[in-house]
Amino acid sequence: MKYTEIAVVGGGPAGLSAAITAAKYGAKVTVIERNNSLGGQLRKQTHKFFGSQKQYASVRGIEIADILESQLREYNDNVEILNGATVLGLYEDGVLTIEMKDRYIKLKPDRIIVATGAYEKFLSFPNNDLPGIYGAGAVQTLMNQYGVKPGRNVLMVGAGNIGLIVSYQLMQAGVNVKAVIDAAPKIGGYLVHASKIRRLGVPILTSYTIKEAHGKDWVEGATICKLDENWQMISGTEIDIDVDIICISVGLTPLADLLWQIGCEMKYIPELGGHVPIRDENLETSKKGIYIAGDVAGIEEASSAMVEGRLAGLCAANSLGYIIEDFEEEKQDLIEQLDSLRAGPTGEKILNGLEKVTKVIAGRYGYVD
Amino acid sequence: MNKAAEVVIIGGGISGCSIAYNLAKKGVKDIIVVEKSFLASGSTGRCGAGIRMQWGTEQNCRLSKLSVEFFENANEELGYDRDIEFNQGGYLIVAGTEEENEQFKKNVELQNKLGIPSVYLTPKEAKEIIPHMDETKILGATFCEKDGHLNPFHTTEAYAKAAKRLGVEFLTFTEVTGIDTKCGRVIGVRTNKGYISTPIVVNAAGGYAKRIGEMAGIDIPVYAQRHQILVTEPVEPMQKPMYMGFSLNIYIQQTPHGSFIMGRGDDSEPTDLRITSSWQFLEEMAKTCCELLPPLRNLNIVRQWAGLYTMTEDAQPIYGAVEELEGFYLAVGFSGHGFMLAPATGLLMAETILGEETTIDISNLDIGRFKRNELVFESSVV
Amino acid sequence: MLIKTGVPDIEDIMEITPPKRRREKGPVAVIECFQRIPCNPCYTACRFGAIKEFEDINDRPKIDYDKCTGCGLCLTVCPGLAIFIVDESYSEKEALVKIPYEFLPLPEEGSFVIGLNREGKPVCRAQVKKVQKMKNKTNIVTLVVPKERSMDVRSFSMKDYDDENTIICRCEGITLGEVRKLIQEGYRTVDEIKRISRAGMGPCQGRTCRQLIMQEIAKFTGQKMEDMLMPTFRPPTKPIKLGIIAGGESDE
Repeated sequence: MKYTEIAVVGGGPAGLSAAITAAKYGAKVTVIERNNSLGGQLRKQTHKFFGSQKQYASVRGIEIADILESQLREYNDNVEILNGATVLGLYEDGVLTIEMKDRYIKLKPDRIIVATGAYEKFLSFPNNDLPGIYGAGAVQTLMNQYGVKPGRNVLMVGAGNIGLIVSYQLMQAGVNVKAVIDAAPKIGGYLVHASKIRRLGVPILTSYTIKEAHGKDWVEGATICKLDENWQMISGTEIDIDVDIICISVGLTPLADLLWQIGCEMKYIPELGGHVPIRDENLETSKKGIYIAGDVAGIEEASSAMVEGRLAGLCAANSLGYIIEDFEEEKQDLIEQLDSLRAGPTGEKILNGLEKVTKVIAGRYGYVD
Repeated sequence: MNKAAEVVIIGGGISGCSIAYNLAKKGVKDIIVVEKSFLASGSTGRCGAGIRMQWGTEQNCRLSKLSVEFFENANEELGYDRDIEFNQGGYLIVAGTEEENEQFKKNVELQNKLGIPSVYLTPKEAKEIIPHMDETKILGATFCEKDGHLNPFHTTEAYAKAAKRLGVEFLTFTEVTGIDTKCGRVIGVRTNKGYISTPIVVNAAGGYAKRIGEMAGIDIPVYAQRHQILVTEPVEPMQKPMYMGFSLNIYIQQTPHGSFIMGRGDDSEPTDLRITSSWQFLEEMAKTCCELLPPLRNLNIVRQWAGLYTMTEDAQPIYGAVEELEGFYLAVGFSGHGFMLAPATGLLMAETILGEETTIDISNLDIGRFKRNELVFESSVV
Repeated sequence: MLIKTGVPDIEDIMEITPPKRRREKGPVAVIECFQRIPCNPCYTACRFGAIKEFEDINDRPKIDYDKCTGCGLCLTVCPGLAIFIVDESYSEKEALVKIPYEFLPLPEEGSFVIGLNREGKPVCRAQVKKVQKMKNKTNIVTLVVPKERSMDVRSFSMKDYDDENTIICRCEGITLGEVRKLIQEGYRTVDEIKRISRAGMGPCQGRTCRQLIMQEIAKFTGQKMEDMLMPTFRPPTKPIKLGIIAGGESDE
């Protein structure tokens, strides 16, 4: 059994930020990352970030991954990185079981920061199991990490930020995006992203859904259909589109298996993408010593994930007794950064959701009995 | 909700459903089954669902034989529109110690005397049945080809649906909060959704049996212990029978679906009704499995979970009435084999409640045996 | 044109539509009988004299809306299934429509169906308020529909648009049709559906299907996602070889 002070599960923007912050204040940190490289989704993000300078605005995601990784390396003495390592379980005695390149490891940390991110939601429509139907994440991985063009003609289902950004990236890769559709009556993503692809001639059809995919061994086409105000398909409005790729980007949901396993109190919050843990302003869950940051705490942008990571790392280190002179000031600054990122009209939904799960938690039980 | 019933059965597992079905079949009206979650959500739905007749005590042999005979025709008898998936692939029970080996020979004698077609096998003969086992780890084995495996969810549903057709009412997501008595008689059951007045209460609450007993002021000598289990990904059929060892502490079976289900016991498991999982189980289980059945080391574990064994001192169930409280009946303490005994449980409990002569004499399985110190110990338990 | 398509024209409908004020007052019969045929059970069934006496058995029924109580007696007897009861007093935004229904299985009370118009085209989602089984086997299904659809919804479908063969659980190959059948049979938790059908028991541990099954339950029962019982989450988070665990802990 290995021991560490803080285990950070997930080496994406939230996990890396948490690890950097905690290590900076002296805590011994172990980062457990499933992939062989650090950075998580940032590695796929070729677009420039929004936000402010503190969250690396106008730097591309992939470059932010490098920045965070090199910051983490500065604290090498305090940091251990387990790459290619997947946490299999979080047990009631606080032990994490890990598979790392066909080896089995047990880790007993004093604190755990769960920054496992999210996974993609899926849709039910006929033939949704045909090859050629991808989640947006898979398309990004193929193109941006492995340099593989997924196909020639794409139907993008979902006009949220990911759907819009991936459409743009597909165009950049020389793939023809036939249409972006969204069941909602409004475009969900930032309108600047939408305008970017509209001016390239890609139609965005709101109040449209995918009715069916066609093809025998591979996607050969799709039928889309208009929806009425009750989200019901209007028959007679079907349009057939010739595509060989259907990309599903209908939102993310928190990847919270470990939190469920250990028995954190969870609540279904549609604004945050699904079931999320109850937490206090320090991002500590209902289980003592278990912190959260990033999409697992509620689906948001990478910029807020990074700030949440810093906040969780700061609070976890502080709870271990590391002396942080300007702790309250630091914490306040991070909370203010989060407030400002969520202040606009696009953050309203997030704030509504967070209000329902953020509270003072009294009488916490630890994960160690 | 305020109701009245002839019989209230507490617990919507296989035992409760079987008792309800048998009572209704005998013409009892106004039977209510109270279940705090959904049907088969407790031990039933968590068990390994093996079915065997190879036991060490006469009572367990008789009860299980009656049950196997029922399961063979259960789809028809219960009029189930799906399949309870009774697969009679046999049980191969392996001996890990000399003492056990000798006991097994005696067991086979007893089983054969009672009409159970089990045979004793040498390690070499056993390996012919399960070729991927390491036969050097065992000293002998017994095999009964009529033993097998069931789908616990479908079997419970089959009983419940048949009972519903006979008029039994099921109150799911309803939790019993108290049992009312008056002058030494049961008069009603309190639940979180209302009151049910009734002269007869059957405690078939599995792991919660002791707690239900306390509500009626009856101390039932049982305790609930966590037992863990795991399932692998499905693979091509390669192991027909259940492989089971008591001293070797394992049971492992390939289901018709292709996945392997395996479990083991552990005296240090908690007895506080929790059904969480532990990494210790995962490690011990994997080691035992890979040692005894080496090629299975390449199987992928998909999920682990836990349930409760409700243990008695002699590892045999407690059936029947209690002296101190009229109208209070017990079908508890199955010690890990309540699922496979359910047909016998249902029939015998219905006969007992109605004052009929029971098909099998179960008078020595009453709660009084603990006070009388008349225990017959069952050693064939994992 | 009605005579060519079987679908009444807007003029036909306007002719038999009770005045808005009457519809808003409470239940009223809408008699969509446009052709002179020899038939009068509606007249003989009415106990309130709301359907005027036929001079000739071929007369089309004429209704006195002041006398009609919307009791529905005429609805069950009409051999042409041409009579509906509309009640726009039900709520601020919704109306009730009673529809004669002669198919099995009957829908479940509380479940959601697709409201169909006179062409059989889906027009809205509707909730089944009440199902009355009648002796003469013309059962009455009462639907809650958006108020503006009260003169539009005349049938319903329990099937959704989606193909029943759509795969919901990829690991175990469970289809939407199978999941829906279980929900209709009364299984209302993800756990029960999982245990009966194996959906969610595969290596992905339900990551794809859990949410889709919850959505189906919500669609059918109107239950909120947040009130639903979640299935348990158990290790391991991904399949892991027995041999790797059995090999014991590595030194690292």
